[in-house]
Amino acid sequence: MSGVFVRSLIVAAGILAPVVLAAQAAPGEDGPYLIKGGTVVNADQRMANTDIVVRNGRITQVGPNLSLAGAKVIDAKGKFIYPGMIDANTGIGLQEIGGVQTMNLRQELGEFNPHIRAVVALNVESEILGVTRMNGVTSVITSPTGGVISGQAALINTAGWTWEDLAISKNAGIVINLPSAAGGGRRGGGGGRGGGPTGDPAQLAAELEQFMQASKDYDAGRAAKTTKLDLIYESMRPLFAKEIPAIIPANTDAQIRSAIAFGEKWGIRVVIQGGQQAFKVRQLLAQKNVPVILGAIEAAPGDADPYDEVYAQPGLLYEAGVKFAFSTGNGSNARHVPLHAQLAVAYGLPEEGAMKALTIWPAEIFGADKQIGSIAQGKLANFFITNGDPLDLRTQVTQVFIKGREVPDDDRHHRLYLKYKARPVTKITP
Amino acid sequence: MRILNYAGIALALAAPAALAAQDIAIKNATIATITNGDIQNGTIVIQKGKITAVGANVQIPAGMKTIDGTGKFVMPGIIDAHSHAALEGGINENSESVTPEVQVQLKNDDPVIYRALAGGVIAANQLHGSANTIGGQSRVIKFKWGMPVDSMYFKGAYRIVKFALGENVTRASSDAGIDDRRFPMSRMGVDFLLHYWFDKAKDYDKEWQDYRAEVKKNPNALMPRRDLRLEALVDILHGDLKVHAHSYRGDEILMLIRAADDEGFKINTFQHALEAYKVADEIKAHGATVSTFADMWAYKAEAWDAIPFNMALLTERGVLVSVNSDSDERIRRLYQEAGVGVRYGNMPVNEALKMITLNPAKQLGVDKWVGSLEVGKDGDIAIFNSHPFSPTAMVEYTIIEGKVYFDRNDAVTLRKSVANTGPGGAK
Repeated sequence: MSGVFVRSLIVAAGILAPVVLAAQAAPGEDGPYLIKGGTVVNADQRMANTDIVVRNGRITQVGPNLSLAGAKVIDAKGKFIYPGMIDANTGIGLQEIGGVQTMNLRQELGEFNPHIRAVVALNVESEILGVTRMNGVTSVITSPTGGVISGQAALINTAGWTWEDLAISKNAGIVINLPSAAGGGRRGGGGGRGGGPTGDPAQLAAELEQFMQASKDYDAGRAAKTTKLDLIYESMRPLFAKEIPAIIPANTDAQIRSAIAFGEKWGIRVVIQGGQQAFKVRQLLAQKNVPVILGAIEAAPGDADPYDEVYAQPGLLYEAGVKFAFSTGNGSNARHVPLHAQLAVAYGLPEEGAMKALTIWPAEIFGADKQIGSIAQGKLANFFITNGDPLDLRTQVTQVFIKGREVPDDDRHHRLYLKYKARPVTKITP
Repeated sequence: MRILNYAGIALALAAPAALAAQDIAIKNATIATITNGDIQNGTIVIQKGKITAVGANVQIPAGMKTIDGTGKFVMPGIIDAHSHAALEGGINENSESVTPEVQVQLKNDDPVIYRALAGGVIAANQLHGSANTIGGQSRVIKFKWGMPVDSMYFKGAYRIVKFALGENVTRASSDAGIDDRRFPMSRMGVDFLLHYWFDKAKDYDKEWQDYRAEVKKNPNALMPRRDLRLEALVDILHGDLKVHAHSYRGDEILMLIRAADDEGFKINTFQHALEAYKVADEIKAHGATVSTFADMWAYKAEAWDAIPFNMALLTERGVLVSVNSDSDERIRRLYQEAGVGVRYGNMPVNEALKMITLNPAKQLGVDKWVGSLEVGKDGDIAIFNSHPFSPTAMVEYTIIEGKVYFDRNDAVTLRKSVANTGPGGAK
């Protein structure tokens, strides 16, 4: 029986019922915790028989034979402890049920919205957060969509009391959709709601140039203290200071080249998002040190492309030295991000590369590697405990910690599971 | 010249050499028979397209083409109980909400078939869409990539008709004004429509039975007017045409069960059935089965209570479950979808593998021939480089009736040769 399963039975039996009732949809109990005797597995490091001390949301010690008076002890003997996984592109917290328009408020009106912030609109009670974290996905990028400049993406944890509590980085990057002169940008990534810019691509491209120039001029003006505060242009300044990257959706090799050139022209850091054909420009990406947020690996290639192109690409990028992360692109299936990585491993990506791309690399790409991405002293206590390799489907996630809190498995799916598992068997005579 | 040309065409159309023989053996492999446990260091022999031996101590006939399965994992070819991969010219007869007289049309050259083979899939139920309360008839086919369409038909499979409930058939997301809507536009209307048509069908059936009795006495008895729609519904009443019903919510699943009980027909399989776990006992009592998504939820309102534990809960309560793709993408990795049942519901591994082999075979009425590795069944197998639920799982060969339809080595070699000699490729 899996740990989740065993734990579920205990919960069902009411042994932990008071905790669960008090913590219905709660982000979990604060520590301190002492995780004893497990194998700690960072992407590049495997430490058998290692303990972890968690206090005030952070990992305060990692090593053998640790102790802490008053700590809740978690026996992890025979188990594995992995740093929380990261889905580097979602709409979690902004969207709930795909087909219900009022539950999908991910896009603002207008084409140039660097001042629009995802973080302030995140619903901490989103059922998707709970479902996502129970497979060990403890952090995600969630971002606005649409327009030429969609707004500010947030790097968040998948459990918390408020959106401030969720946030690791309130502004992790600004999403910029380059209007494609080839016409591909006309309806953006998805077309219509949630897509990129709508309008004449050449016109929009010219407007983007003007906007970038005005932003740069504003930046210089502010630095020289000659320009008055403007909320919109002010939002562009962290880009020029290279504090945050521009997140640029680009799939073809031509689009990726354009995105890299755009970054160089304006002196800003670029993160490629999507990157369906990134392997075709992998040398360039490696040379320019431009990272890629890969779109879904659970995807079909173009009609004329090799059947395994999407699966094999991460392996090629890894070999070439390109830094990348995985993403699901939506939200409700964000918990499947390790399954995307699994397909990449099957088709050539070393498992170490997959674990990097699920943990430390997205942390580095978004400047949060001091906070998350590995199990190390001083970092947020974001990790999950398993009975095996998380990329093996026969493995179950048995416990999840986010920001030092033990997350109860009271997500929507476990609630329904336990409820209907407990339904008395009904004798039915038709 | 003309004769020579025709000869050239005939040669070009002939099956490639790799497809010529139907005798093949795999040795030293882990073999998941599904029905008789896993065999370590096992051998499987396929002759004339049929499995003639499977076991630990099996002699391979001399000279037979043999794949060394050392380190590999052999399982029955994967079966998808819900696909639209090879449909020609649309999947819905959109004009009316009751159209069981139509049948899907197939093409044999859809690249999705090849890609499904590359994921170990050997057969699929090519279903009509979900626009109609009672939609059209499906075709169960084997993925004999490149062969003529009629040779792909799975002979002996059930005749299957698609039903649909809920948001799709009521067109719940339609922006059309009230005057432009089609009946039914609510689940209540769907229930009524089912009763209405099956009452008509029963009248029609009686009319014909009366006529057949009458005509024995009176050769001049007037033959009733033939109605292909009602005839198909009568086939459903008689169990000759099996119902696969697109459904999501527990309430609508129970509604259809009761409508079927009232009218006197059976539901063979609830397709999708994301909330089937809520009415598992009712489904079992009716004798129906479920073919579901492993883990798709929240994409529309009626998918809000979908849970990845659906497969495990149903299996625990004795309902036969398959996991299907309904997608040109998921059909490429159905093995991964089945594994989700282990991750979330902690299903036994063999039960999870059944969901993409024996269980869909039963739902499509083809378990006499496929779905497990047993002597006498078709030589339809998928060979993985490792366990299909492991991190490195990749399909290396897919074999149908002893013919290799997918070979990973050939795929890679062919690609390299095309890249080197094709247009734009470096010589």
